[in-house]
Amino acid sequence: MARMKFLCDAERCIECNGCVTACKNENEVPWGVNRRRVVTLNDGVPGERSMSVACMHCSDAPCMAVCPVDCFYKTAEGVVLHDKDLCIGCGYCFYACPFGAPQFPQDGAFGLRGKMDKCTFCAGGPEANGSEAEFKKYGRNRLSEGKLPACAEMCSTKALLGGDGDVIADIYRTRVTRRGKGSEVWGWGTAYGRPDQQPQTPPQQQPQGGNKS
Amino acid sequence: MSSRVVLTALSHLLLVLTLASVVPVWADEKQPYVTSPPSSSDERTTNQVERQQTQPFNNAPLWREVRSGDPGITQVKGIETGVLVQPQGEAWRTLRNGPVILYGGILLLVVPAAILLFFAWRGSLKMHSPPSGRLIQRFTSWERLIHWLTAISFVVLAFSGILMLFGKYIVLPLFGYTLFSWIAIVSKNLHNFVGPLFVFCTVLMFFTFVGGNFWRVYDWKWIKKGGGMVSGEHVPAGKYNAGEKLWFWGGVTLLGIVVSASGLILDFPNFDQGRGLMQQANIVHGVAALFYMAASLGHIYLGTIGMQGAYRAMRHGTVDETWAREHHEYWYDDLKARNVVASPSTHSTPGPRAQPQHG
Repeated sequence: MARMKFLCDAERCIECNGCVTACKNENEVPWGVNRRRVVTLNDGVPGERSMSVACMHCSDAPCMAVCPVDCFYKTAEGVVLHDKDLCIGCGYCFYACPFGAPQFPQDGAFGLRGKMDKCTFCAGGPEANGSEAEFKKYGRNRLSEGKLPACAEMCSTKALLGGDGDVIADIYRTRVTRRGKGSEVWGWGTAYGRPDQQPQTPPQQQPQGGNKS
Repeated sequence: MSSRVVLTALSHLLLVLTLASVVPVWADEKQPYVTSPPSSSDERTTNQVERQQTQPFNNAPLWREVRSGDPGITQVKGIETGVLVQPQGEAWRTLRNGPVILYGGILLLVVPAAILLFFAWRGSLKMHSPPSGRLIQRFTSWERLIHWLTAISFVVLAFSGILMLFGKYIVLPLFGYTLFSWIAIVSKNLHNFVGPLFVFCTVLMFFTFVGGNFWRVYDWKWIKKGGGMVSGEHVPAGKYNAGEKLWFWGGVTLLGIVVSASGLILDFPNFDQGRGLMQQANIVHGVAALFYMAASLGHIYLGTIGMQGAYRAMRHGTVDETWAREHHEYWYDDLKARNVVASPSTHSTPGPRAQPQHG
């Protein structure tokens, strides 16, 4: 089974924010939440580089490790998803994530944050694939339709690649050898530098009392 | 073979030394500020610009900037949206899921076990003389109100906090995901709303009880003898003994301030504080709260089953004269000197509430 990953080619990203818009449009995300964002370093000077950031679906995901109600699970494709019905809005995933992926519809006094929202790799949530309930909570489930995430599909310069980690790494390797520069892939060490967690079924569909790591 | 290795090593060393001596000079000539490691985003930007002029394909300064956590430019509004990688979250995760949960859990098991062992060994601390039947007021209704408001909110916060830290490992396997999530939602909101009440009570508590808690010379004697808790020896004390004073200053005041300040940082994300501050506050909050809970067990033990007559003091506000003389002799003497209580010889008939009090 393919291991899904995101890869953003900093040599190609032109900061058009097409991925951000594609994501918002495809998933109809809550107000104030941006599942994807583009960050530019050295803005306006030689050496300027832009990178698109969202949940990287880490191998050893920090959000999963710290969630006090264990609402996260990892699909067989390596996508890190969560169950909004279980989420209590404590914000621990937001403390732990290096990429700033988990976000909350509110940042209210007394810790009233609402349910966490983050990039799903366009793979929905624990509800039935393509159901209305799934779309309302998590957005489109493109993966179940055999499609890749909307952001990567929309990218005009093909800087943002999303898909089977081996395939996109091959594409990137070819690029690097051709152009002879830019071999660094931003965020990969942080996201994929550790062994993968075992795939799981969504928390509520597991047998009660089953031990999860 | 070995001589060649030594030669290679020497030549490398020479190269490094040469570079080390040349590079700062070169840097000094061109731009004096590169000699110190770059600290601000501006300097890193300059570094990448410089690097690109000499080595067009070298992005190393840029990747250092990505890892640094310094914000770049982004169109997305929000807190720290310009940060690509915030590496401190990993430290927070390692600390919280590691030592805080492990040693915190051990602490919350060992302390009650030790207290139970002590109780099995010594039992409840009883009065040596029979109760006189004459009651002295120890706590006013205001003092009791503040104490119980603080105490009840403390217990609510302790249980909901324990659930947030250990519930995943203990309660979740028992109750299953759906029920545990509901319990956690209730706990989280209780914790977040009762927390500020506890802060408020802690402040009132401090000013209400600070008067009797100043450290006296005789408190050192009490500490040295452990209050006579093990030996059964009589150790005189003021209105509050040294143990109570330690609990007041170390627990209520110091740990109270630490958990309150760190808790307020976590409870009000509406002030737009960043992740880094919240990660630190969470660790400080957890560690301080674990020590506070462990210490509170000692206080609760001595206030209930550990000492005869202590619970009724805070429940009804009164203590028996014998209790006052045996546990807080200086306070009792002081009350006698101020004629608040009559000397034992003049009043020998038991009052209407002469029943021996059992905590």
